[in-house]
Amino acid sequence: MEKNNEQNKEMTAQESLSLISEMLNNSRRIILQNNAKHFMLWGILLTVTSLAIYELWHITGNPIWNCAWFAMPALGFPIVRILDRKNSDVPQNVINKQLGLIWLTYCIFAVTISVIAMLVVPMNISLVIAVLLGFAECISGFLLKNWAITIGGFILGIGGAVATSMIYNEAQLLIFTLGGIILVVTGLIIKFQYK
Amino acid sequence: MFPKLDPILHSELRLAVMSILADVESAEFSYLRKQTNSTAGNLSVQIDKLSAAGYITVEKGFKGKMPCTTCKITPEGIEAFNNYVNALKEYISL
Repeated sequence: MEKNNEQNKEMTAQESLSLISEMLNNSRRIILQNNAKHFMLWGILLTVTSLAIYELWHITGNPIWNCAWFAMPALGFPIVRILDRKNSDVPQNVINKQLGLIWLTYCIFAVTISVIAMLVVPMNISLVIAVLLGFAECISGFLLKNWAITIGGFILGIGGAVATSMIYNEAQLLIFTLGGIILVVTGLIIKFQYK
Repeated sequence: MFPKLDPILHSELRLAVMSILADVESAEFSYLRKQTNSTAGNLSVQIDKLSAAGYITVEKGFKGKMPCTTCKITPEGIEAFNNYVNALKEYISL
């Protein structure tokens, strides 16, 4: 009863503004902390997948192992669903929705281009994917107003494009290992930024 | 001359609910309750008041087999919230 009366009381202008600011910040923190988990999950999956394919390609000398990339979204999306089910009442805001759209677009482009490169027109797929990955990471940094993430994306995109033009075969996969590490670090940055 | 503060919003719990809803697409009752640290009964009463004023819409449905109430701010609610914040700023600057 006392709690109810306390919450129904009228406030001064300063108290009202403080309350608005506190509620907005708390809510944003919870929403974006949920996003941090997604970055870390995809980062770990990217690191593990790239290292596994690198190792298998290196040992067997057969690039067919690249087909294992398709296991990444097949494994990742169900895990995301399970993670989200635990926080199913956490709402979506503009930033979180746009981040989701950016990375979904990246995923659609990456999978489609990979299929085209495998079945229709051969191309330097690693270069394209590295640029797309860096681009998506860079925009995420701008959205989150975090320069470290933006610079990480820029290094990944531009550095990845240059590196994939200079190194060949399975060694190119190590660029994606770096990409995975950058995604994990992005998740950690968000986690600590909105602690 | 001070601008008049909207009496619907000038209450701690209703303002807290509106502040959360102003930033999200929609929010479930359980989330609002956790964030505002309020009792279910009190929150329900304040949500009804905001809904009656046309500031939010309340949708009752199910999530699996569990009942789920979802609240969403309306354009009128956004306008009222913005006016309220602007009025507060004027109060503080004067």
